[in-house]
Amino acid sequence: MNARSLFIPVTLFLVIAFLIGPFLIIVAASFSAGETLAFPPQGFSLRWIAKVFTVESFQASFAMSLFLAIGGTAAALVLGIPASYALSRYKLPGAEIVRTVVSAPIIVPGIIVGLALLRYIVVPFQVGITLALFVAHTALVLPYAVRVVSASLDNLRSDIEEAAVLLGSSRLGAFFRVVMPNIRGGIMSAFILGFVTSFNQVPVSLFLSGPGVRTLPVDMIAYMEIVFDPSVAALSSLLAFLSIGIVFAAERFLGFSRYV
Amino acid sequence: MFQNRAEALALALPAALFAAAVFLVPVVILLSDGFRSPVGGWTISAYTDFFSNTLNQTVFLRTLKLGALVTVVSAVIGYAAAFAIVNLEPGAKGRMTGLVVLPLMISPVARTYAWIVILGRTGIVNQAFQALGLTEAPLRILFSETAIFIGLLQLFLPLMIISLISALENMPKDAIPAARVLGANWFQVFWKVVLPLTKEGLVIGGTLVFTGCLTAYITPAILGGSKVLMLETLLYQQVSVSNNFVSASVIAFILIVMSFAANILLKRVATARNKMRSQP
Repeated sequence: MNARSLFIPVTLFLVIAFLIGPFLIIVAASFSAGETLAFPPQGFSLRWIAKVFTVESFQASFAMSLFLAIGGTAAALVLGIPASYALSRYKLPGAEIVRTVVSAPIIVPGIIVGLALLRYIVVPFQVGITLALFVAHTALVLPYAVRVVSASLDNLRSDIEEAAVLLGSSRLGAFFRVVMPNIRGGIMSAFILGFVTSFNQVPVSLFLSGPGVRTLPVDMIAYMEIVFDPSVAALSSLLAFLSIGIVFAAERFLGFSRYV
Repeated sequence: MFQNRAEALALALPAALFAAAVFLVPVVILLSDGFRSPVGGWTISAYTDFFSNTLNQTVFLRTLKLGALVTVVSAVIGYAAAFAIVNLEPGAKGRMTGLVVLPLMISPVARTYAWIVILGRTGIVNQAFQALGLTEAPLRILFSETAIFIGLLQLFLPLMIISLISALENMPKDAIPAARVLGANWFQVFWKVVLPLTKEGLVIGGTLVFTGCLTAYITPAILGGSKVLMLETLLYQQVSVSNNFVSASVIAFILIVMSFAANILLKRVATARNKMRSQP
């Protein structure tokens, strides 16, 4: 083998090792039997995996993150689907402004969104923490919802719904009976992308978390600052496998990557 | 195209008003706070105060430096990796691209946490260095710029590789062999052929990586600790420790200006490319 034919495998090995290696180490460390986080793991046990399920704050913050990811994404879709439809099918006055406003939360760093909401909405209007987090996560997911749903609407010929209207269907009926079934894959993909984005999100939630109300990643950071045991590693591995599983299933059944 | 304007507005306004109310208005007020004078009227004294503080200067320059460094290094590694991947068989190419994208699905907290195990006092790197006799006492790698650099590079390298893969794939297949036949060495091939033809991909990848570094919170928070701050962690500290909202507003403004500038550049490049494509 000469130097050039070695270049490709060596480069790929090093890059993949750098990108995936740390994750494999976390997985290995979570099966450790030892008291502290270490690699190579000391012995083999499932005790830290089991412990994750018994930590009360993890249970509460997991439930909160799940609620925000599902509820926030659903709300973003309820707002985002009609907006995408208007942007792709109508001569909308000020279309560029609408597009910029709904996609702005993606450009502005999350920590600023969280701080601005806290100071000018949550505190002056006495909004509860859960509602504030819900609103923040909805705003965060909205750009993704609009982008993915718009992409699948643009791929769908608009003359089929015009035909439906011409044949006597109402505009609304045409939307639900003709358009919706055809963009179902795009909507599901938007949901999954929004779910993963919201679930992994930290900066937006940072300032909005209050006493006893935290999202899971914020809780994990707080926990790892105090306790140096492998339970955060165990939880990280579980979550990673969960999100990889969801994305793989989405790719397999929906052709996720066509939309994202 | 439907022409009914009222219908269009009714569909689009709920989303636009929601985003404006919970996002745009609060952020604009937050940014304007940094320009408000305590005695009434407008002033930029908060900005001159901010930049006259040495700690703030250090943090500002460190953020720019780490962002630039991560962008450059990820471009160098990215070209090598993307070049290797596009030269694979179609099946292997898909699997390799999948492996590059995979880390993006994993929670950044988990990905950053792994570096504590690797770089910590009893971590793998220190174990290896001590076993090899390179150092007696464990090195302090965590809570340093090096640790943040490694963490950010690992976090954002996939974005650069993906951008460069699609740029390299859109390059005419015979450009490199042609340049070789005409006598160019590999350095000239890269500098005079590959780089100009993949410039857009590089700019897109570079913008994503650079803005990612500017606005990353988790990595500097976990790997930099409370001493080695970046703009994002400084902002958090100003609010939660010092209650200094004016300074937080200044940092927010700096971050937004930089990430908007990067995004405008990105949009420019994207439209220029679309124009090129639509030409027959």
